[in-house]
Amino acid sequence: MYAEQVHDYLKTFFKETDCEIVSDEGHMLSVQLTIDMDKRIMNRPFYWQYIEATNSPANPARLNLITDRTKIQNQFLGEIIHFGSGRLHQIFKSTKELGSFVRMYQHGNEGSKMLTPYFCVNYKVSYYCDQTKEVLYSLGINLINGEIEDNFHEFVTKLALKPTIPEKSFCLQYIIKPKRALERLDSMIQNIIQNDDHSWAEEAKKRWDKELEVLDYFYEGVEEKPESYEIEKKGLEERFNPRIKVEIINGGLFFLQ
Amino acid sequence: MIIERSSNWREDFIERFEQDGPWDSWTLYNMSYEIEKMNLIPEFSGLQAPKFLTNIQLLPHQVEAAQTVIEKMNGKAILADEVGLGKTIEAGLIMKEYMIRGIVKKVLILVPASLQNQWVTELNIRFFIPAIAYRKNTPIESYDVVVMSMDTAKKSPHREKIYEQDYDMIIIDEAHKLKNHKTQIYEFVQSLKKKFCLLLTATPIQNDIFEIFYLVSLLKPGHLGNYETFQASFAATKNSIDGERYLKELVNQVMVRNRRQDTGIEWTTRKVETIPIQYTPEEREVYDMISELKNVSSVFSSSFTMVTLLKEMCSSKEATFLTLNKMLQKSITKEEHDYIEEILAKLIKLEINSKAEKVIEIIEKANDKVIIFTEYRATQAYLQWYLYTKGITSVLFNGKFSKSKRDWVKQLFRQRDQVLIATESGGEGINLQFCHHVINYDLPWNPMKLEQRIGRVHRLGQEEDVHVYNLAIENTIEQKILDLLESKIDVFEKVVGELDDILTRKA
Repeated sequence: MYAEQVHDYLKTFFKETDCEIVSDEGHMLSVQLTIDMDKRIMNRPFYWQYIEATNSPANPARLNLITDRTKIQNQFLGEIIHFGSGRLHQIFKSTKELGSFVRMYQHGNEGSKMLTPYFCVNYKVSYYCDQTKEVLYSLGINLINGEIEDNFHEFVTKLALKPTIPEKSFCLQYIIKPKRALERLDSMIQNIIQNDDHSWAEEAKKRWDKELEVLDYFYEGVEEKPESYEIEKKGLEERFNPRIKVEIINGGLFFLQ
Repeated sequence: MIIERSSNWREDFIERFEQDGPWDSWTLYNMSYEIEKMNLIPEFSGLQAPKFLTNIQLLPHQVEAAQTVIEKMNGKAILADEVGLGKTIEAGLIMKEYMIRGIVKKVLILVPASLQNQWVTELNIRFFIPAIAYRKNTPIESYDVVVMSMDTAKKSPHREKIYEQDYDMIIIDEAHKLKNHKTQIYEFVQSLKKKFCLLLTATPIQNDIFEIFYLVSLLKPGHLGNYETFQASFAATKNSIDGERYLKELVNQVMVRNRRQDTGIEWTTRKVETIPIQYTPEEREVYDMISELKNVSSVFSSSFTMVTLLKEMCSSKEATFLTLNKMLQKSITKEEHDYIEEILAKLIKLEINSKAEKVIEIIEKANDKVIIFTEYRATQAYLQWYLYTKGITSVLFNGKFSKSKRDWVKQLFRQRDQVLIATESGGEGINLQFCHHVINYDLPWNPMKLEQRIGRVHRLGQEEDVHVYNLAIENTIEQKILDLLESKIDVFEKVVGELDDILTRKA
């Protein structure tokens, strides 16, 4: 993420979260945080506990964020923010929390329309051993006929979507309940994982066995193995034992023409 | 295989669905997805960390080292780059990579006390890793990345507190401090769970081959066999070339070692000179009398005291005086007492220090900033006085100085004084690339100490050739030290790898 991208990101983020942008100089952004945003990104729970306990007037922070330090003379004017910095990371986290669940309707094309309900979940699947790999799956299910499509997110972002239902349109009543749809998508993702190539896990197991062999060699012939043997063994397990994690990034209901 | 499902998204979604909202912003929803896509780790191999590290100029050998440790060594390694190539950066990079990949969260970093703050600053500023320096009463469980001094860590109640934590990664700087398996710190580290582990040292062997055995056995017990098999295969067959080659190969499976010349960066050369010095007849007389001590009385036959005294005599009469005086207090018979008094009388009368005179000669010829390393505080003080009488300004340095005092001394040396006189313990943690001359006034037994000393000057950022002068007085114990240093360097090169010049190369 380059300086300009960070700048645009922040600007959009604060606009969307109703934080007033006091000034914008292209390489520096001055933002008045709302109380909610202050709590999310400023790391000062004790301050807020105090304000709320004493009923004092709240004074949410104003941030001066420098997005391009090469253009700035006096860097004490604000906080330098860039890809990799803790603050930006926190803002990413807030983005995730505040952009978790949506309900959108497709607009465009004059006239009355019948809208079909879809349910979408964006999954992140992570494979862990002593190494990691992650894959995103965006699965959408048609709530009328149960068909499931991959790359659903890429598909819907090309449509004209709004949070309100267009005039003269009506939504078909879903046949599959969203709760049931979620279960179907979950089992779909399980299927995808099961059919994936898992040589990585076998490789990890091989590395694990090899290191275990070396460890056993060290303690060969020792009748009562010391505690450090068990500790080492546990360390090996934690390092190499292959694991899979499924995380949901976000998702929602889509009513499409 | 078990599939872990995280987040409460499912429950939360059902709730919002049943209550018909509130629904989130479509823009934020999209931004969130884009961020995930951007931060995705698409491959098991390769490094993700460099794109996050905008505050640091990574060198190719550092990136390569990190990649080797992660991909080929599975996250357990000795980082043994020559001094000044950025082992800390490599360790930081590896740690960051594992953190980004979500494999490592809690990290314990053990360092000599003098390097604690430097580590904390580097990690915070350059790697954006929120590390803290552990002090007494720091609530260790509330922090993920803790930098602790080795001396603190090994003691109660700190060690117990550490054992209670479940660290994912252990990093140990200046790991040659763990070469002795009988020490408290070795035992402490041995019983620590080391899921991922990095040992940093430029000098994995300092004196003998067993040091590498104990170091590797901490990291990966069994890699070099157990003690008996190691001794049988490598230590016993001292001269077997095949054995050494095999050992080197094994060691290289768990060790990354970059040499200055393979970094692709242009390094200035090191010009090492051994400078032989002749005693004056008066100095020689005192030296010989000291060597005779052991024949005068069995009290003096302890070889340790003798060696110390002889080394001190090669340094300065001031250093010798202190030890001799202590012996005088302890002497019992009149014969012992008289003999020491006789030496003392002659010692005090000495007017010339041949070595110090040589130093003046070197400084005048260099006509530039010079660092002098000595092993003795008394010599350090003497040299400052002696240089002063010759109109040369100097500043003293030793390892016990606090961070702010260190910086102050460095500043003085840079701007005001021509010479810095440091004791051995001042070898670590001060970098002086603006200086190009190093005088080893006394020689330590351990060649790696010499390497550490030279490394203060000959490191990244040095723009001129570095001159190293090793002073040794002829026909004294210093001659023996030189021979021993040579044979130790030989062992190191056979097992670990080539070294940059420390002593003058034999033709």
